[in-house]
Amino acid sequence: MKKIFFIVALLGCALVYLQQQANAEKKTSHAEYATMEIKECNSCHKGEGVALNHDTDFVRGHRVLASKAGNNCKECHQQAFCLDCHQGGGSGDNLAVENFGRDYKPKSHRSDFRVLHPLKAKDNPQTCTRCHDQKYCTECHSKFPRNTIQFESHRRQFSDIKLTAAGPTHENFNTSQCPTCHPGGLVPTHQWSGEHAREARRNLQACQTCHDNGDVCIKCHSARTGLQVSPHPRNWGSIKDNFRSKSNGRSCIKCHDAGKF
Amino acid sequence: MAFKRIVCLLAGGVMLFASTSAWSADVHGRSSTQFLWFNNYFTERKQAELAEYLNLSITNIDKDGKLSFQGYGRVTQDVRNGESINGRLYYMYGEYRGLYDRLDIRLGRQFVNYAAGTALIDGGQIDISNIGPIAFSVMGGRNVVFSLDGESGHEGDYAYGVATYLKGVKNTDLEVSWFRKLDQGDVARDILGGSFRQFLFSNIKLYANARYDLTSEVFNEVLAGVKYFPTANLILTGEWYQSYPTFDTTSIYSVFAVNRYQEGVLRADYTINDVIAVNGGYSIQDYGEGADANVYEVGVRIKPVHPVTLLLNYDQRHGYGGDLNGGTAEIIFEPTKKIELAGGIQYDVIKRDSMTGEDYARKYWLGGKYKITDKMSAAIRIEDDVNLSFKEDWQGRVVFNYDF
Repeated sequence: MKKIFFIVALLGCALVYLQQQANAEKKTSHAEYATMEIKECNSCHKGEGVALNHDTDFVRGHRVLASKAGNNCKECHQQAFCLDCHQGGGSGDNLAVENFGRDYKPKSHRSDFRVLHPLKAKDNPQTCTRCHDQKYCTECHSKFPRNTIQFESHRRQFSDIKLTAAGPTHENFNTSQCPTCHPGGLVPTHQWSGEHAREARRNLQACQTCHDNGDVCIKCHSARTGLQVSPHPRNWGSIKDNFRSKSNGRSCIKCHDAGKF
Repeated sequence: MAFKRIVCLLAGGVMLFASTSAWSADVHGRSSTQFLWFNNYFTERKQAELAEYLNLSITNIDKDGKLSFQGYGRVTQDVRNGESINGRLYYMYGEYRGLYDRLDIRLGRQFVNYAAGTALIDGGQIDISNIGPIAFSVMGGRNVVFSLDGESGHEGDYAYGVATYLKGVKNTDLEVSWFRKLDQGDVARDILGGSFRQFLFSNIKLYANARYDLTSEVFNEVLAGVKYFPTANLILTGEWYQSYPTFDTTSIYSVFAVNRYQEGVLRADYTINDVIAVNGGYSIQDYGEGADANVYEVGVRIKPVHPVTLLLNYDQRHGYGGDLNGGTAEIIFEPTKKIELAGGIQYDVIKRDSMTGEDYARKYWLGGKYKITDKMSAAIRIEDDVNLSFKEDWQGRVVFNYDF
């Protein structure tokens, strides 16, 4: 009871404080300054102790300003200002802005971005999905041959590993035969098994770009066939019900029999 | 189907524009007619397209100027390979601001932004304010996803959410929100978000942003930063960021274990005088299990004489995933108020890992713009890509813009 009273009192004080603040110092509307040059903004901003938002770090840093309800971007910008970068539109006015096919692209996608994007996508892996749905990667990658991929883990596939120095390679066996040599999903510690797991944990988005439905992963990680190695995180026991109920079991059924997850 | 919808909406917009002389509304916008030629990498054929963009804004429709309409879309037609007509409607919405002095209502296709998530929706957003220092927002509608040649959504793809935020407090921004995305009727994303910004002592800005994934029960993104601006021309930035790459729950990848990604950023932006401004930055990236990368970045903007601006940027990355050395150089020359000439070079050398050789990508471009009248301008841009795949790969665009 005391705790509830304390929380309510704290919230009440915060509200009173905020009410006083709101009445005392109103935020300035920027609508009338919309056509000003950025450099002219300094005269007010620095005097008021409010740093300019539109500095040379704007492309990287604007998410914190724009991605919130009640942002004041619309006082100066139409939604076209956002969507020209986020969804590929443009009026060609800025000569430095490039195209990828018919779409315009932001400055972050310099040079031939098809060459650079495997590395750039690793810098903060969430960046891509702010503009592109995950399906976008698959749609594009599916149009190119898979064997052009150059990940280290892909250079020596497990299917190329020989059983003995002179023996057959793994490609001669199907997934139902895995438990014969690997009871309980035990795999000898060789380079491929460790490397592909580490690479997947660090950069799982990259796997999805070519193996959209996880068909390759399921060969070993399904609960039904293959080595049956669990791919789930450590806290899976406490969160699995969330996945089951929210996805309506759509992901679960890919590896588990109905009623067994 | 999606294309028909776009054509109908754009036609509606044009009809509305054409009939505006009948009432006193202000109609403004831009028509952009473009001719683009490029290499279609998917078909490995040169392609040429005509494009028409229309950006429309109708305001002051009612006596109090509270009602407005905004629209933006494009239609493209390939004129070389016989590909079908293509379209993209970016937004088309009507907005009524200040209903009962408290409600802002926006209906139609629109881009919505909460700290918990962003989406392009066919639906509505309602903001409730002027009820104290706190305001509320609610939004929802069909989730629009563009693919390479159209829209890739399905029936049952929706996005909706609610937010509450501080309104009118001069030095403090605070927002808490909830965002949910449905994929064919199933909950694909369920996110709690928060955003915070505080100005202190006339020269410090603190900011933070977080997204908590309710399904995975982890913070899939956290950002905390500080900007310090000791003088009017110097901004120092320090940031820490972490993320877990959570996927849509309907994707098999959502159930896989992943590492935490962390990033630390330090950078400085200094405008020395009207002639020269410099910036530099360093990021350390941590991918977990001993994998990391370092990124260095420097840039300079020089205006040696009045009509000339020179922009130079260079960045270098070493570490997990590969090495990258590259940069850009641009020059902009405005001999008169009506003419702008520009050109640039982009040069990158990339090495994916120890077993691959170096790859490179270079781009050379030139452009020019002529302002015919206050309302009309024409522009051209031509570029050549050079890399391991192409000794030369020319593409470009010619644009005629008319503002009304």
